[in-house]
Amino acid sequence: MILGVSFDTPAENKAFAEKFHFNFPLVCDVDRAIGTAYGANVDPQKGAQRVGVVIDRDGKIKEWHARVDARAWPAEVVKTL
Amino acid sequence: MLKPGDKAPDFSGRDHNGNPVKLSDFKGKSVVLWFFPKADTPG
Repeated sequence: MILGVSFDTPAENKAFAEKFHFNFPLVCDVDRAIGTAYGANVDPQKGAQRVGVVIDRDGKIKEWHARVDARAWPAEVVKTL
Repeated sequence: MLKPGDKAPDFSGRDHNGNPVKLSDFKGKSVVLWFFPKADTPG
């Protein structure tokens, strides 16, 4: 299960998802609560840092990366699940 | 910062279609969180 997360509104993310045909949900963290909890709200003036997190089946952090490759990482990490 | 083995903070929100999303909905499954800075920007 992949969840994209940004601080954008649903309308902005809907356009993004449709343009790139993402087959996973984009969570609209407009109040930055998720980003803050996961260390992606590094600069409140900017969008989320490209943090990548893998959560295991027990709800524990398996991997946490401060910066991942935007295009390659999601596809690569899914292969390891 | 979060480290391997830490409990993942639960969260809830809405996706781009307005559907509610909660981490606890995916209990028993691996979940990948992919943060991105701004919809439709390169880099």
